[in-house]
This record gives sequence, structure tokens and C-alpha cells, in this order.
Amino acid sequence: MTRTQPVLRLENIHKRYGDAEVLKGVSLELFKGDIKVILGPSGSGKSTLLHCINFLVSFEQGRVFLREQAINPANKPELYAYRQKIGMIFQDFNLFDHLTALENVQIGLVRVKKIPKREARERALAELSRVGLAEHVSKYPAELSGGQKQRVSIARALAMDPEVMLLDEPTSALDPELIGEVHAVIRDLAAGGMTMALVTHEIGFAGTLAREILFMENGVIIEQGPPDRILNHAQQERTREFCSKIARLHNRSQETA
Amino acid sequence: MDLSFYTQEVAPAMLRGLWVSIGLILPSAVFGLAIGILAGTLRVYGRPFWKRLSEIYGLLFRGFPLLVQLYLWYFGLPQLGIYLSPFAAAVLGFSLCSGAYHAEYVRGALRAIKQGQLQAARSLGFSRARAVYSILLPQAIRRALPGCGNELIYLIKYSSLAYMVTCIELTGEAKILASMFFKYLEVFFVVGAVYLALVSLASWGLNRLERYVSIPGFECVRR
Amino acid sequence: MGIQDGMTAVAEGLPYVLGGVGVTLAVVGGALTMGLGLGLLLALAQVYGPRWLRRLTGIYVWFFRGIPLLVLLFFFYFGILVSLEIELSPFTIAIVVLGLISSAYQSQILRGAILAVPAGQMKAARAIGMSDARAIIFIILPQALRLAIPGWSNEYTVIMKDSAVTYALGVAELMARANHVASRTYQHFWLYIMVGLIYLLLTYLGTKALRVLEERVAMSGYIR
Repeated sequence: MTRTQPVLRLENIHKRYGDAEVLKGVSLELFKGDIKVILGPSGSGKSTLLHCINFLVSFEQGRVFLREQAINPANKPELYAYRQKIGMIFQDFNLFDHLTALENVQIGLVRVKKIPKREARERALAELSRVGLAEHVSKYPAELSGGQKQRVSIARALAMDPEVMLLDEPTSALDPELIGEVHAVIRDLAAGGMTMALVTHEIGFAGTLAREILFMENGVIIEQGPPDRILNHAQQERTREFCSKIARLHNRSQETA
Repeated sequence: MDLSFYTQEVAPAMLRGLWVSIGLILPSAVFGLAIGILAGTLRVYGRPFWKRLSEIYGLLFRGFPLLVQLYLWYFGLPQLGIYLSPFAAAVLGFSLCSGAYHAEYVRGALRAIKQGQLQAARSLGFSRARAVYSILLPQAIRRALPGCGNELIYLIKYSSLAYMVTCIELTGEAKILASMFFKYLEVFFVVGAVYLALVSLASWGLNRLERYVSIPGFECVRR
Repeated sequence: MGIQDGMTAVAEGLPYVLGGVGVTLAVVGGALTMGLGLGLLLALAQVYGPRWLRRLTGIYVWFFRGIPLLVLLFFFYFGILVSLEIELSPFTIAIVVLGLISSAYQSQILRGAILAVPAGQMKAARAIGMSDARAIIFIILPQALRLAIPGWSNEYTVIMKDSAVTYALGVAELMARANHVASRTYQHFWLYIMVGLIYLLLTYLGTKALRVLEERVAMSGYIR
């Protein structure tokens, strides 16, 4: 019954920055358990699109539906409740610098969900263990490696019990040897059935993880479909160009690795 | 509202006071800046003795409240046989005090200049003194401009303390007038407005100056 | 009259003058506290408020940074006393006036500190569903206040020295006491040097304490 109803739906999103239109009528559907990867050149609007989903960025036209309920950003309590259900992972982690890893995960539970401190602590410890950071709970962000920071940020998002996870280039700011640990966590999440929208340059990773790949350019989704089709037999020329370019780079770096 | 009070009493008093205030501010600004540039330069490039002296100067004259310094020159020096007029004591106090602050800004500006500039100048045959004067100072002045400019604006405000050593400038005139006519609120409102105008004018001028001398790469960092 | 007499006057007058330290610290403490409270509100208004509020706070800051302390002291003390016939002690007026002026300067320090907190912090806070108010209180301000400590240290030294001016209203602080002794012993020179050194010492101790505070609350993994 719920299979036919998408968990998250974007309808005709238009966004401008000054004179430039960055998103030109983008629509998107995420069903439960879907993993959609958004690929595209810089400036195509992928990151902006993700930021529009949880209204971190305002847009001029279009609507967002969670379980077919339209979200009204002007209604603050509704907006805050909605954001709890959407987990977001940033490219530069954005961990709260003045808090330890544990406190980073805890603070949402205590200050937003109003869960008592002791319970929140238990939950936070559990989430951090789940991403493999049980020994680092008392460390501050500055004492953690990039991969560890990103895993903390995933734990922080998961603690809020989101229905959808948005990942904005989660590994772009990481040194190569640290990317693997984050990929592992994301794969675990996917295996557990989490609904995800992922923006990334890692075409290999995207290929193995995604249920569907969307190719964006200049604020429009040019083509979308199963990974095998998009990556190997794309119908649009732009898609083919981009994917082969990325694939070549990826292969080259794999050879030298 | 009795306008004649304003035109016949307040305005002339303000003009008299303004004349004295400007007479205090201008020389103090010039001397203060000169002392500051000297002290700041010595602090960075001088020989150890002068460095130390400049450091102590800065410490003492930025550490003692301005009021204490003014009282020292006006009430303290007579003990040593030196009798300064209120005006002289005020100018001395303002110059020495603001000089210490200017020295800090000049010092910071000089230190911010890359090592290579001095070396390049020397390699072209400049003497140390000439290199400092022709190459380093023009750069330093632009970097020190916001800080020194701000200090000058402070000087405009602190010139009001001259009243405390019986030098009758704007504030002094205001106090005397106000107590004569029991119109404290009105008179101090006006004198406050005069100072605000002076400060705003100076700020605006400073802004224009900063933009006028700016060179790409030397953006004046606003405090 | 020589150094001998001077030193005697200083030695004898020292205890009395030091009695003024308490009043000075009270004035400085009161002014800084008021300045912090008001300054914080102003800073928040300037960073997060609507345009008209930002304009208004801008005018407030311009006003209290543009008028000399002495003029403001006289305006409040004589103006209020005479016109509104309210009896307020010079001590109170001194704290209020210094507090208002300090709030204008502190608002700029705090504003700078708030703006120095990386933009990503606010994003992340919003992303987990925090309201703006909560994000500011629990994420932005803890970091901003730490960043503001050096600027605050500077503000402390300024207020400490400005407190001497309150002598003009008759506040019984350090300067007043020094003057009292000076007028009795005629050793103005030495007494002013002495009181100047006391101010210097108070300034030094205060900035030292703030530096210790800064290290203790520093973020990025150190002692909490």
C-alpha cells in the first residue's frame, strides 16, 4: 500500500541566486528504501537541490512533500519537526566545534527532542558505536580525522531517527585513505533500508550503491535511470560525455593507487 | 522654547569652546602622531636600548589613565618647579598619551611588512634609514591608518578631559553655561551634538582617506 | 620638598588610596556586566534582526561611541537630577553611563565574534531541527563568546582607565582618594604616579586573568 506513495517528493523546484537560475523546475521522488545518486558537473545545482529539500535554502517556486503532506516552511514548528525527519550530511562535516563527539550526537536529542540527558547519552553512545567510534566519544572535532568526523556527523543525523538521509558529497573533503571507512558506514545504512539521496563524484561507489542515478546539468535533470543504463548506455550525449570522463579519471586514479 | 537663549548664550559659548577644542586637538594630533611614529619605528628597528625605552614608554602611557597623566603634568609638575598652563598641560598629556597608542599601531604595521622588502631595498643600495623612510614607511602608513585614524577620533572625545585641568574648551563652556542658567539638559544636549558632529566628520574623512590611499593588497582591515 | 617627603606621603596615603580599589572594581565590574548584557542583545539584533532593527542599533552604537564620557556623565547626572528631580548617587550614574558606552563597543566585539563562527555551524544546527533561537543559544553563542575574549580584554582595560573620569562626579574611587591625599600632603606628583601604577597593576591582573580564562575554555580539544 505504501509502496505507491513516495516518502519524499519534490515538485517543480525553481531557485535563483540574483539573476542566475540555479534550479529550473526540478522534480524528484524518493520511495522507501530508495537510494538515488545525483551526478553532474560543478554548478549544476546538485548541492543546492539537497539544501532545498530541508529548506536550508529558500526557493521561489515548487513544493516539498513528506508522505504526500506538503511542508509549509513558514510554519516554524512544522519546519523544525520536518527537519528532524530529514538527516543531512555535509561535505565539510559541520560538527559543533565546542562539543565532544558524544555531545555532538547528544545535543539534538536533548535540546530538540527533549529527551532526558541520561537516555540521550545511552542513545548517543549506541549510535557512535554503530559507526565504529566507541573509543572516541570524548574527543573534540579538532582531535578527529576527517573520516571520523564524517562518521560522527552520520551518527548525529541518525540519532534523530530520520526517514530520509541526504548526503552532500560526504567524501569530497576527505583524504583518499579515509574514504573507505565512510563508504562502509553508508553501505551499512543502505543495507538497513534507509532512504537516501546522495550527491557524489565517486562514480564507482555510486554505481554499486544506487538504485537510480540522476544526471543533472544547469539546474535540470537531464536523464535518470538504473546505474547500468546511465553509466554505460546513456541515451543523452551529455550524460555519456560526463560519465565517461569521470570513469576515465576514476580508473586512472585506481591504476596509480 | 526660548530660542534667544540658544542664539545669545549657547551658540557663542559653543563657538568659543570649539575654537579652544580645535586648538587642543590639532597640535595634540600632530605631536602624538609624530611621537608615535618615532616610538613605533624605534620599537621595531632601533637598537636594544631604544627598543626597551620605547616599550616602557608604551607600557606606562597606555597603562596610566589619561586623567592621571593630565593631573601629573598640571598638578604634579609644579612640585618640580615646572608650571604649565592648563592648555600646555593638556596638549602635553594628549600628545604623550595618544603617541603611545599610535606607536602600537605603527609597530604592528611595520612588523606586518614582509622581510624581503627591507632586504630588497638594501640590495639596491639603500641605507637602512633611507630604506625605512622610502620603502617601509609608505607601506606601514597604509596598514596603520585604521588604527591611528581611530586614535585621532578618540582624541576628539578625550579632549573633553581638558576641562578637568581647568582648560575651558567645549565641555568647560557647557558646564559653566549650564550651571549659570540651570539648563543642564539643554546645554549638554547641544554640546553632545557638537562632539557627535566632530566625530562623525572625522570618521567620514578617515574613510575617504583610507579609500584614497588604498592599494590592492593593502586593504585596510577595519577594527 | 624632596623625594623623601614624597615617599612618606605615598607610604602613608597608600592604605587610604587602596581603599578606593573596591569602588573602582565595583564601577568597572558593574559597567562591564551591563555592557555585556546590553551589548549581547545589540549584537544579536545587528546580526539576526530585521533591517529596521539593525538601523536602530547602528544609531545607538554611533551615538554612544561618539559622545565623550565626561559629557555623558554630566548630562545624565545634572540633567537627570535637575530636570527629573530623581536622586541617584554618582556611583549609580557612573555605572549606568559607563555601561551604556561599553555596551556600544561590546556590541561590535560580540558582533564580530558571532560573524567569525563558521556558517556551517548554523546550517548543521538547523539541519537537525533546531529552531534559530536554540541554534544561537547552544551552538553559536558558546563559540562566539570564546572568540570574543581577547576583544573583551581590551574593553576591560579601557573601562578601567575611564573609571578615573567618574571622579568628576564625585565617585569615591581611586582617583578621588588620590586627590584627597594629594591636597592634604601637596605631594601631587608622587601620588599620581602611585595611583597610576595601581591602575596599571589592576589592568595587568585583569588581562592576565582573562588570558587564563581563554586558555581554560578554549575549544578544539583542550581542557574544559
